[in-house]
Amino acid sequence: MNNLSGKAIDFPTVAGRWFLGALFVYTGLEKGLDPVSFLKLVRQYDLVQSPFLLNSIAGTLPWFEVFCGALLLAGIAVRGTALTLAGMLIPFTAAVWHRAAVLQGAQAIPFCAVKFDCGCGTGEEFICRKLLENAGLILLALWLLAGRGRMLALRYSLSAGTEPSSSGGRSAATP
Amino acid sequence: MPRRTSTAAILLEAVLVMAAAAGFAFAANQLSPRGLKLARDYFPSTASATHLPPKVSPPADTLPASAHENSETAEIDQRIKGKGLQPIDRPETERLFHDPRYQQGLVVFVDARDQDHYTEGHIPGAYPLDRYQPEKDLAVALTPCLNAQQVVVYCTGGDCEDAEYTALLLRDAGVSNQNLFVYGGGFNEWSASHLPLDQGPREGAPPPAKNQ
Repeated sequence: MNNLSGKAIDFPTVAGRWFLGALFVYTGLEKGLDPVSFLKLVRQYDLVQSPFLLNSIAGTLPWFEVFCGALLLAGIAVRGTALTLAGMLIPFTAAVWHRAAVLQGAQAIPFCAVKFDCGCGTGEEFICRKLLENAGLILLALWLLAGRGRMLALRYSLSAGTEPSSSGGRSAATP
Repeated sequence: MPRRTSTAAILLEAVLVMAAAAGFAFAANQLSPRGLKLARDYFPSTASATHLPPKVSPPADTLPASAHENSETAEIDQRIKGKGLQPIDRPETERLFHDPRYQQGLVVFVDARDQDHYTEGHIPGAYPLDRYQPEKDLAVALTPCLNAQQVVVYCTGGDCEDAEYTALLLRDAGVSNQNLFVYGGGFNEWSASHLPLDQGPREGAPPPAKNQ
């Protein structure tokens, strides 16, 4: 009975893990299959001056996201992947915020009226909506990092014996 | 103590994930036919010195449409000149398109957009030259450009800078800067003006110019 209710509690988190994984696979492929467009968008941020660094970011970041998304979908190294994604999302969101503030200053319009393609793989969006979306994704990644979403995971943790006890279901690979 | 071990294990796991993801990502970019060449400078320094800040313009509703267009055109021309290139406007581009020298190959149009956009529609007779994958296109387009008296390069128009960088690529390949012109209005302005268009891959010489 406990196990059943545990699974019921854990299922939304597993759905969240699949959602986050699928989203990263989708947006990663959107960018990875058209790296030139992504290169131009990354260049707008003016974050790096070196062509090699700029090309490396634009050429590899989308595939990095696809890889991490696939890990979440399969349920492999879930917390390590969630930490990696949170570590990416937080500075990205700050960069998007900063870019929007620059555009707002240049166009003299309200902050939430700023609309641009942030290179997030979802096309042009209003900044406030984008920031809310990113906040949601960060929270979801942190929730997974906290040890949720282990049900139906191929290999929840790479290191055996370090998993905290879970209130939810069990990993398929965890005895 | 177990919590510390667990935290260390998660950090180690994250490092492993990052290393594996980075390896996958570099391999995928390398193997992808559309992958970027990491060592190539896609935005040569001629331009970085003139990298402009974001557009500073009042909201569109405070300006009449014509004033807005004029300010945008002036901004694009300034950007083109900043790269040491010559801008050309639509009436002049149209005049060159109807110039008999176009049929003789003394005026050449170069489309700096990618293959998909070129196939969807382009100025009749224009040579495709995708600067991000220039190996194939440059071999075909360079000789006509070297032999021409005037070379007009265009891309989408507006914020698109590919025409300018393609012009720089042609200049570096030996085309005289005096002969190079960048049509800032680009394909969007050309097609919006209901001027002649072709679809599909390029076929031989430019067809006789006539309005659609």
